[in-house]
Amino acid sequence: MTDNQNPLSPHLQIYRWHISSLLSITHRISGVINLFALILIFFWLLVLSLGESNYEFFLLVINSFIGKFILIGFTWSMSFHILSGIRHLVWDMGYGFEIKTANISGIIVIISSLILTIIFWLLGRGLI
Amino acid sequence: MNETRKWALHRISAIILTPLFFWVYFSLILLSTKNYQEAIYFFENPLFAILTIILFFIGFFHAKISLSEIFEDYIQNQKIKDVANILVLILCIIIPTIILILLVYKI
Repeated sequence: MTDNQNPLSPHLQIYRWHISSLLSITHRISGVINLFALILIFFWLLVLSLGESNYEFFLLVINSFIGKFILIGFTWSMSFHILSGIRHLVWDMGYGFEIKTANISGIIVIISSLILTIIFWLLGRGLI
Repeated sequence: MNETRKWALHRISAIILTPLFFWVYFSLILLSTKNYQEAIYFFENPLFAILTIILFFIGFFHAKISLSEIFEDYIQNQKIKDVANILVLILCIIIPTIILILLVYKI
């Protein structure tokens, strides 16, 4: 197939923003971020196999401000992708297509993803 | 693989990944406060190794299907799309395989 001049499908810069479109593209972006998170976990295990001194250095990086920022970001991205994914699965079963319902479920996904991220860190750090 | 089957496998892998991701993130946040010895002890647990291997294989399988879908939407040139798909496929085979070797032959 040769190049054609048809516009590409999701016209992000052209359509007016709605909760539905915002969540749709964020679902994709967070999915790609989750892939990077998985690659980070891969390196985490790889560094662990390289011995103690390397791992101690890795821990230092992970526990720095930027490291924590990235880890918390990954946690949010995962929380969001899972919750938004559940919303997609409910759609696949044929429910929740009314505009009002879809808007409400969208807002619920955004808020719950933030709450879930906080719960993850409080639990993981043994604070609750 | 036909599209319907791809669609179904994408959903099934998503459902399997959900609990695995809850588990792995909780573990990682916990591990970030532990030292080397404790981390090694963690990974020597066979259950941890098995779950990690499943997470990587199914996670990268899910990513492969999703990325092909994204490439389909945003890449116009068929050649570039094919190359992108092949690169992702290689990545999605190599990384889980290294994880498998690392965890099966002990770190």
